[in-house]
Amino acid sequence: MKPVKFFAFAASLAVAACSQPADEASETAQVVNVYSARHYSSDAAIYAAFTEETGIEVNLVSANGDQLIERVRADGERSPADVIITVDAARLHRAEEAGLFAQTDFSDLTDTVPANLIDPEGYWVSFAKRSRVIAWSNTRVQPGEITSYEDLADPQWQGRICVRGSGNAYNQSLLASLVAHLGEESAEAWAQAIVDNMARDPQGGDRTQINGIAAGECDVAITNHYYYAMMVNSDDPAAQAAAAQVTLFFPNQETTGAHVNVSGAGIAMNAPHPDNARALIDFFFSDTAQRAFAEMTNEIPVRTDVSWENPTLAAMLPFNEDDLNVSDLGDHNETAQRIFDRVGWQ
Amino acid sequence: MPGRATSLAILAATLCAAPILAVVWIGLSGETGDYLRHLAGTRLPTYLLTSALVGLIAAGGAGLIGTGLGWLMARTEFTGRRTLGWILILPLAVPAYVAAYAWLDLSAAGGPLHAATGGLFPTIRGSWGAGLMFALVLYPYVYLLARNTFSSQSADAYNAARTLGAGPMSAFSRTSLPMARPAIAAGLALVVMESLADYGTVSHLGAPTLSIGLIRAWSGAGSLVDAARLSLVLVFIAMLVFGLERAQRRRARSVNAAGRHKPSPRIRLSGLPALGALTACLLPLTLGMLIPLGRLVWLAAHTETAPGLVAASWHSLSLAGITALIAAALGLATAYALRSRTAIATLAARAAGLGYAVPGAVAAVGVIAILSGTQSLLDPAWRSVTGEVFPILLTGTGAALVFAYLSRFAAAAISPAETALARVTPSLDGAARTLGASRGQRVWHIHWPLIVAGVTSAGLLVFVEVLKELPATMILRPFNYDTLAIIAHNFASDERLGEAALPSLLIPLVALLPMIFVARYLSRQDP
Repeated sequence: MKPVKFFAFAASLAVAACSQPADEASETAQVVNVYSARHYSSDAAIYAAFTEETGIEVNLVSANGDQLIERVRADGERSPADVIITVDAARLHRAEEAGLFAQTDFSDLTDTVPANLIDPEGYWVSFAKRSRVIAWSNTRVQPGEITSYEDLADPQWQGRICVRGSGNAYNQSLLASLVAHLGEESAEAWAQAIVDNMARDPQGGDRTQINGIAAGECDVAITNHYYYAMMVNSDDPAAQAAAAQVTLFFPNQETTGAHVNVSGAGIAMNAPHPDNARALIDFFFSDTAQRAFAEMTNEIPVRTDVSWENPTLAAMLPFNEDDLNVSDLGDHNETAQRIFDRVGWQ
Repeated sequence: MPGRATSLAILAATLCAAPILAVVWIGLSGETGDYLRHLAGTRLPTYLLTSALVGLIAAGGAGLIGTGLGWLMARTEFTGRRTLGWILILPLAVPAYVAAYAWLDLSAAGGPLHAATGGLFPTIRGSWGAGLMFALVLYPYVYLLARNTFSSQSADAYNAARTLGAGPMSAFSRTSLPMARPAIAAGLALVVMESLADYGTVSHLGAPTLSIGLIRAWSGAGSLVDAARLSLVLVFIAMLVFGLERAQRRRARSVNAAGRHKPSPRIRLSGLPALGALTACLLPLTLGMLIPLGRLVWLAAHTETAPGLVAASWHSLSLAGITALIAAALGLATAYALRSRTAIATLAARAAGLGYAVPGAVAAVGVIAILSGTQSLLDPAWRSVTGEVFPILLTGTGAALVFAYLSRFAAAAISPAETALARVTPSLDGAARTLGASRGQRVWHIHWPLIVAGVTSAGLLVFVEVLKELPATMILRPFNYDTLAIIAHNFASDERLGEAALPSLLIPLVALLPMIFVARYLSRQDP
């Protein structure tokens, strides 16, 4: 009976863990503290390139956008956050409402970045885009049968649509854009029609919906463009085969344009290193970073004058984008959520 | 040692309940909007119904698997039993959402199972799918506690029943099972609470439980206050579940009072029965661990290895190790305090268990509220000396994480410790005292050997829980601090299952380390 040994093992764990370097913001080294809702491999590469170029080390916490907002808000004046990044316009809007962003002069970016992607009041700026689009079966849907999101409400699609749950931020933003364009009543009628047309209860993510088409469970799906690109560019033969049976379509080309959501960043209100924060945000618009978004995550770079290599993504561009200012998506997010609740979109 | 134990129990309770109380406070003090009314008129009934269904299926499945395997391991002998005894705990180290991602990928339209069976294999989804996932990865709670109880049961009652003509099954269900009921109930309570607090699994499989509603209130409507209010419902359900469990325990007390322990001989199985026992063990293991992880490994063959796994393994291991030790100590103290049967001890034990009821993301909000509140309180004093705000010492540290873990998982340590301590009967203590043993001697030489298995099991449960914990870790962690669960989830949430494979595999592998350690320690204890 040697409990002593057991506790010695434990104590050694404790000591070793405490001796780990914590957030070493040493006096001399230049750092920038990033709170990011993105968790993509492109970002690690971008941060490494940034440090290489500027000598500024990047400290990173990544988590869900709402959680990040809560942490920065609670830490208040003493928050170490310099840059806050989210992957959804509604979250940017919410962080702005919570007073987490410092107003910044982003006017020097307007040469290369479209105006609807910069917050009118200068609290944040978007650096990469994703579009929520329609995918259909090559064999069971003819080109021209669907031209818009609104077309999906037609009863001819009854039992033929796959789409993920409404807890997902991308669905919320899509519906928010319809609220902005069509008004709440029409948007609700649309959502109700989609629920009536669903081939199955929502399950899985966007890739699950594309697989659903390939397997014949449904004919049409709503998905972000990069999930399809990810499957086409995948090393997995099964994913490639599924994607090969599906056509990706950017809707509303004659009307409002396809729905676009953004990854955006702002400088934190109490940023201890505001200059470094600005340097990092500027770096997101560099050729290196814009190229990484296109090549590593299949996102659409906001700059159109940067060259990159990704044939799958290049084949999708250009398309007519919804030029709604993305801050409007934030305004209508709660309305969208309530519509989802009322129509029973799981 | 009632005095010291009770104070420790109160400390544990304060620590564990504080974040939940903070959440309650956020819920009660916030502004009142019409969101909850909107919810009551729309989806609240669905949330409640689904929660009930998922909880029941999880409990039923885990109860069946855990009790059956616990009895097999404790009362029979067959080839491979010793090794399996520990391996059967491993599915607990598979995060339920990882199992869910893999199973949906396998069984959804277009998946290999769907294709191979011509669509006959049902898609693992919805309330049934989620309940099944929880049963398959959470049954070790019931199994561990049931096994400990079955192996410490006196064989007298069972043998008497057999002598009186009862068959083995009937003797089991009339004697062994009722005596094990408190332990099984304790395990089931944990299974139910963990199922209801889960978010990742139910959202991926499309089973809208109350925690989905709660996260939607927060993320969709942007109302943390309403999310906090909804979590009150979960806290209430937790009190109900733990209340039922306590009621079981009280009913069973008289049954358990047999002072004389005649260790029951194991039933030796060979031939077909042995094969059957082996199959019974391998089936849940295969469904809960081998198939989902195997699917991920197969997908991993097509993908690159994610970087940073070594550091993440170390972070996971150290966080889980530290938390498990503290939790086991606090759990034991609470169990001792409960022996005193004082009202304050009972209250402390119940309060400490509440954290289990609330989704990790919400518990984390409570932790943030407390730590940032403390820092704000220190501001005036600090400012008068230094002229600046109090530095950020509490939030974003390892200590904040351990705090959140303890708050979430202390319940998992209390029940096993309490069950273990039930083996130390008052008559045993009395005998030792009569023979002149001091209190220290009694605890060390009599209590410890009897309870060590239960206490280490308690620590192990918490260890594994921390390894796979996700939402609280994500939001509270220091800079540049990944754990295995975080890396696994980041990939899995994008349905990049190949990349998620290796970190998902490493979680049970890391869990194996302490399991081997504990198994060896216990086998030296109990030759």
